[in-house]
Amino acid sequence: MTATATRPPSVVPVFVRLKITLIRNGLRQSRGRAAGWTAGTVFALLYAVGLGVGMASLRHNHYGPAAAVTVTACMALGWAVAPLFFFGGDDTLDPTRLAMLPLRPRPLVTGLLASSLIGVGPLCAVLVSAGAVVAVAHSGPAVPVAVIAVALTLLTCVSLARAVAAANTRLLTSRRGRDLALLSGLFIAVGSQGISLGINSLSSDGGLHRATSIAAVVRWIPPAPAVDAVRSVSRGSYGLAAVQLLYAACVVALVLRWWHHSLVRLMVSPDASTLPAGPAGADRDRREDPDSARRSGLLGRGAADGPARVAALLLPRRLVAGRTGTVMGRQFRYVWRDPRSRAAWATALTLGLLLPVVAMAQHGGSVYQCLWSAGLLSTQMFNTFGLDGSAFWTVAATTATRRDAALELRGRALAMAVVAVPYITVVSTGVSLLLHRISALPEVLGLALAFAGTLIATGVFIGVRFPYAVAQSNPFANAAPGQTGVVTLNVLGGTLAGVVLWLPLLAFAVALHVTGRHGLLWTVLPVGAAYGLAVVAAFLRFTAPRLLDRLPEILAVAAQV
Amino acid sequence: MAQQEWKGREGGERGPLPVYGVPYADGQPFGGPPSGGPVGEGADRESEPEPGREPAVQVRGLWKRFGSQVAVAGVHLELPAGRFIGLVGPNGAGKTTTLSMVTGLLRPDDGTVRVVGHDVWADPVGAKSRIGILPEGLRLFERLSGRELLAYTGRLRGLPGAEVDRRADQLLEVLDLSANRHKLVVDYSTGMRKKIGLAAALLHNPEVLFLDEPFEGVDPVSAQVIRGVLERYTHSGGTVVFSSHVMELVESLCDWVAVMAAGRIVAHGPIAEVRGAAPTLQDAFLSLVGAGRRGGEDLDWLGGSAR
Repeated sequence: MTATATRPPSVVPVFVRLKITLIRNGLRQSRGRAAGWTAGTVFALLYAVGLGVGMASLRHNHYGPAAAVTVTACMALGWAVAPLFFFGGDDTLDPTRLAMLPLRPRPLVTGLLASSLIGVGPLCAVLVSAGAVVAVAHSGPAVPVAVIAVALTLLTCVSLARAVAAANTRLLTSRRGRDLALLSGLFIAVGSQGISLGINSLSSDGGLHRATSIAAVVRWIPPAPAVDAVRSVSRGSYGLAAVQLLYAACVVALVLRWWHHSLVRLMVSPDASTLPAGPAGADRDRREDPDSARRSGLLGRGAADGPARVAALLLPRRLVAGRTGTVMGRQFRYVWRDPRSRAAWATALTLGLLLPVVAMAQHGGSVYQCLWSAGLLSTQMFNTFGLDGSAFWTVAATTATRRDAALELRGRALAMAVVAVPYITVVSTGVSLLLHRISALPEVLGLALAFAGTLIATGVFIGVRFPYAVAQSNPFANAAPGQTGVVTLNVLGGTLAGVVLWLPLLAFAVALHVTGRHGLLWTVLPVGAAYGLAVVAAFLRFTAPRLLDRLPEILAVAAQV
Repeated sequence: MAQQEWKGREGGERGPLPVYGVPYADGQPFGGPPSGGPVGEGADRESEPEPGREPAVQVRGLWKRFGSQVAVAGVHLELPAGRFIGLVGPNGAGKTTTLSMVTGLLRPDDGTVRVVGHDVWADPVGAKSRIGILPEGLRLFERLSGRELLAYTGRLRGLPGAEVDRRADQLLEVLDLSANRHKLVVDYSTGMRKKIGLAAALLHNPEVLFLDEPFEGVDPVSAQVIRGVLERYTHSGGTVVFSSHVMELVESLCDWVAVMAAGRIVAHGPIAEVRGAAPTLQDAFLSLVGAGRRGGEDLDWLGGSAR
């Protein structure tokens, strides 16, 4: 056609405007979201400015160059992994959305690159890398090199994020991929503990020397060489600086090439939704059949798999018969199969174990650290209905009597207790054994069980009274935007109420200590267990009619997207 | 059976006689009177209310506002039992809101709803055990397999376990889901989701079945399966109320329609009555909701031959 003869207009401005419009429209959705975005932006900018200024203040410090290259390299790493976790957050990250347009990969890369330079993230990257170059620039000729270094750093970060996203689009747009990404919460939780241990060892004697020796390697990890080039220029070694800049530029070129390649592949290969789900899928089903048949048979038998089955054996039949057992079965299946629940439970279980252990490793610790494990796990009850999402519809449609409501709540509380009680027992026993304070076990265990009980009890009530919608579009945000008030009431109110309810038992234990009746401290265990149980029973009774009354209201909250 | 029905309808449209007398005269496709009550045959099906049978749904003065927007503005409606009823209207007419309130899942601002004589809000036990609902979108626990979902739903409904499993297996078989019963519902296709939702709604043998857009995004094969099950259900006395905006579908399936627009019922009654003199239900509907057959005059560049 004749149209091909003339050069088509550049798509770069179109992409830039698209990005700006997307950001603006994201803010227009709701006032709460706009407020959240503003707060997040302010926080991110403050953090970036803080980091930049912090590095700049190390300008004359011996460790300045090491800090500059380390922070730069870490920032690039963060950009590289971010799309794996936050893929859904940015629509322009998903190149398959543009697959229908008649665009050649090269203008597409240019346009997308330009559009991805806009936003809060790139601004933060500029601020941080500016701080890094200020820390190492000490001469006049270093200034232009510093500008080039900032640009190269920014380009590396942005193109890395894009390239990783493009290369993993297949995985990230599939359900399995998104499920996997959700487990990252666990890595962050465990990782933060590892980092805190690392910082601890660094702040001890000789720690910073170790950091300097690491920096000798880090300064060759892109885009750190660009920043290090500024230092080389300041020291007069222009040859080295040229090599470092060239190296950093080559890396950017390579990343862009990789991105280009992935884009070409994405544009010409079919998208996941058009792949035939025929023979291969059916085949896989058949292969999985015996195992899943066994699994599914369990719900069919009234109780459920694993823990629920054990519970069915241990608990009185009357307690788990009918709806309670059914609800428990579903709760346990969800802990395993729903990535959000799985991540939350895994995080709570791991942190509940890690916190006492880390405390012990750092400064001896205390047996009372076991209360963490009780607290972290039991707060999972607080938004039990909100977590159901629109599936709460099924519960609402099938709950007609006060008894239905009571059994539904009991099932949820029991499912929690069936895991919490053995877990708390094991952690408390382990910690008291490790601290050689086995004699304190009955008291600690009694306190922890009662704490779990009061939190589950308030959780039952709070879950009915103050449920909040869970963000469906962003799997990392706990609550959907615009619900700050309810979330505060839910989390803070629930925790405070749980603690207040638990105080009488704490007072009892303290009284035994103060009056010197150490021989009677073992009574905290039976008293605490009974107290926890009684509070849960009372709250279940009190809350059941409220659940029945509030079904439409809870549904309206839980099912909002 | 379906073919016979089609033939019957076509014959009826060509003939001078009332349309719906023809297919039912020999008891096809609805077979015979439901075992439950004395539902009239032939021309009797045209008249309302049917003698001796309580209306399936009675709605009086139903209102719902969301902020300043009025979603449902005073709906009065009486739906006869044992019929295949279509609730039609353009997008945003308030169909889903109305169905949510009728099924007791959304609290109305004002008005009463009785399902088979049971007030949905005063007597939830009586009402909820008599209705089955296929909601818009998937509102089920989708991380359960199809078989587990039915087992769970049936037990929540308080049915005995063995009976739930028996019915679940039969429903899965009839709805062509047996091969996928161990697959998680989250991995189901749209048609499979609608079918598993329908199975969950039918499990407790409700008297009235509410379906919100049951054929939206469903392939013809699954649609035919769903259709067959629904026809069998009304055949034996059940009432189906379904919302849709596909008029051809409503015309071929339903014998009674209610037309909704801007939160109100603008017409209701046996389908022939609502259609009136208009050649098709589509035309009758368009004139009822006040949308002319307009469009296309200004798009003179559209044709695909030049840029």
